[in-house]
Parts: sequence; structure tokens; C-alpha cells
Amino acid sequence: MRGKAYRGLRDGQLVELVAQKDAGALEALYDRYGRASYSLARRILTEETLAQDVVQEVFLSLWRDARRFDAGRGTVATYLLSMTHHRAVDVVRREENLRRWRTSDEGLEFEPDPKARVEEEVVTTERRAEVRAALSVLPPAQREALLLAYFGGYTQREVAALMGVPLGTVKTRMAAGMRKMKVALQDAGTEEHPWTRQ
Amino acid sequence: MDTPMSHSEYEELAAGYVLGALEPDDEHLFQQHLDGCSVCEANVRELEAVVGELAYAVPPVEPPDTLWAGIRREIRPEAARRTVLPAPEDGAEGRAGAGVGGRGLRLLPGLAAAAAIVVVVVLSLWNLNLRDENAVYRDRVAALERATALANDPNASLVSLDDTPGPEGAQATVIASSREDRGVLIVEDLPPLQRNRVYELWGVPQGVIANAEKALVFQPLRRQGVQTLEFEVPIQPGTVFAITEEPGPDGSEKPTSQPILRGAPPTA
Repeated sequence: MRGKAYRGLRDGQLVELVAQKDAGALEALYDRYGRASYSLARRILTEETLAQDVVQEVFLSLWRDARRFDAGRGTVATYLLSMTHHRAVDVVRREENLRRWRTSDEGLEFEPDPKARVEEEVVTTERRAEVRAALSVLPPAQREALLLAYFGGYTQREVAALMGVPLGTVKTRMAAGMRKMKVALQDAGTEEHPWTRQ
Repeated sequence: MDTPMSHSEYEELAAGYVLGALEPDDEHLFQQHLDGCSVCEANVRELEAVVGELAYAVPPVEPPDTLWAGIRREIRPEAARRTVLPAPEDGAEGRAGAGVGGRGLRLLPGLAAAAAIVVVVVLSLWNLNLRDENAVYRDRVAALERATALANDPNASLVSLDDTPGPEGAQATVIASSREDRGVLIVEDLPPLQRNRVYELWGVPQGVIANAEKALVFQPLRRQGVQTLEFEVPIQPGTVFAITEEPGPDGSEKPTSQPILRGAPPTA
């Protein structure tokens, strides 16, 4: 099978091939990050169809203009997942009803209750555990500010209104939270653990 | 805000910026500051990585099969025309491929077979060297095997694009099958392009530029090496092949610049 030939290639090499319109390379990247991208889009948008649209746009965007990826700015995973996040947030801001629906279960995902999810899957457990651990040690107010922005697509002013605190407080909490996440994830190691299709 | 912002205030905005959570006025201010502040630029890069990592916190959800099928459907027309088959970096096979025949040589079946044998021998030696290498190289072998198969086509022409003096070191050879209206371009050491520029291969019936047909749009390798690219274009006796530089990412419908490499087929 042709796809097997791409397995030994690094992400950056695959992007280079995608720039030359190699569909097999795009499929290989989808195999590595399509699931993560879709999972994130589903988490933000909840609606399957909207999430599919976002992921499709992300990979088609890479297909149309792979040269926009700049290896000096970060990994391919970061590029694809950041693009997924930005596009999903754009959609959720247009769909006010989705956002209201989302608010009700915001935060539940990150209750420090790892046992309930231990057997979910094997491949991504380690990385997810690291990210969750980093989130779990944040002060609750910082974590909430980050998650409302990240998964809810709320602006800082909206977060301030939701949390009942001044805008300046939200800015400070987000900055402190992201700083701590950066340190915690660096300590945990930055090796990529792409989610792969089984 | 009446007073200018301090640098620490800008630093505080970086988190909201990467999360896409800034208010429009703050975003505008920060973007302006970012353009001239290497400290904040570095900080943003690091925080963008954190944003990417946050995605891993989400429980994985298996995407439906229809998702990739939809992407595939969208890219198919372009992909079918521009499948890229990377050739080996050391160029051994590429040189063998490019040197199978001289300019404008019509391949006779016997010669084609001989050429194929040469290529296969080189491939075999190469495979010995690379037997422990990864799948990248096996894929490249497959690419050259395709070129070899095409070279065995008695209707195939082998055209070296050297009618005009091209960029120093640049070489290009086309193996074209008029029966199948498709071919393989083997190209080496094309100069890098400016942003938003691409190379375009044209099939030019009888060398009449107005009738040029788009065969392939591609970017050169960033490293040294040989590229092997497949293309489809109407090919008749007398079809000239030419490479021009065109605006990217999709190239042009007709050539907008003089060819940097050009080659005519053998005269009948």
C-alpha cells in the first residue's frame, strides 16, 4: 500500500511533499493528526457536521498553501491544531447557540478524576495525562479563564463577564496560566505523540 | 488607554493573543507591538506551542470515514495531475534516469529495454545500499520503476530540455508517451523560487507557444537531488516541452515568461 511508504517521513518532509501536491503525503498527515484535529473541533463545536467542516478546511488549507507552514515557528502538529482551534473558534462565535450550550459543561472535562478515563485508549494516554496534569495544577481561576477562552471561544471581556471579575484580572490570570502551562509542559518533555488512526 | 502600555502589559496580552481571546483594540495594539519586538515574538511562538498541546487534553474522538473521503474528493483533480514522487537525494538514480538517452532520442524497443536494464541494475545496487533504509527510499524506487516502465513503452520519447542554456547545473529530461498522453519529468538542481512562485511544465504542440498546455506545476526541492514527477498532457509528434516560472500556487493557464528549459522531440 502506498501509504506505508510515507510512514518513515518526518512531518516536515510530508509538508514539503504536500506543497508539491502529493496526496499521499497529505493522507499521511491526516493519519497522524486528523483524529486530534477532529477531537478538538468536536470539543469546541459539539456538532459533528460543523467539526467535520472545520477539519476538512484545515487540511484543504494545508493542501492549497503548504508553504505557509514555517518550521521555524513550531511543529506541524502545533500548526494544524492551532489552525483547527482558530477556525473552530471562528465558527463557534458565529453560532451563539452553540456557545451557550457549551457553557453548561465547561470545566467538567478537567476535573482531576483520571480513573474514569484510564482505559479510553492507549496511544495518547501519556501526552494527554501530561497536559491534564499541567492543567490540574493551575489555580482553578486561572484554569477556568484558559478553558473558557480555549474551548468556549470567549474573548477576555466575555470571560470577565462570565467569571464576574474585571477585565484586567482575566488578562493576568490567562497570562499566568499560560506561563505555568508552558513550564509544566516543558518539564514533561516536548516529544510529539501524534494520535494515529488504528 | 491614555498612557502608553509598558512592556510587561504587552507581555500579558500574549496569552490572550495566542488563544484568540483579545478584544479587537488589544489585538491591534499587540499586533503592532509584535511586529517590532523579538522578545514578544519568541514568547508568542512558545505559547503557540502550548495552545497546540492543549488540544491533547481532549478525549480522542474517531473521525468518520466520510471526513477523509471528503478531503480526498476535493483534492483529487489536482492530485491526479501532480502526484509527486521524490527521487533519491544522492541523485544516483536520477542521473541514470536523466542520462538514459540523448536529446530528442526516439526510444526503440531494444534501446528501451537496454535502458530499463541499466536502470534496474542501478536500482538493484541502490537497493543493496539502502536495504536497511526506511520506506522513503522504497517509495523513491517505486517512482523510478514507473519511469522505467514508461521508458519501455515503444511510443515513448525521451527529450532532454537543453535547447536553451538554462540555469547553471539545472537539468531536465522528459519521458513522454504519446499513446498514453502522460509522462515523467526528471529534473535536477532547479534554482529555488521566490515566495508565491512555481515552476510549470508545458506541452507545446509543434512549439507554438499560443497552444501550450499545462502539464505540471511544481516546486523545486529545497535540497540537492533529483525530482521525478508524473504529468498528463496531450502529446503528439512534435510536442515540445518547456519549463517556465509562473505565479503560484496554481501556475498559469498559458506561459507568462520565457522558458528556462526547453526541449524539442526528435524529428520524424
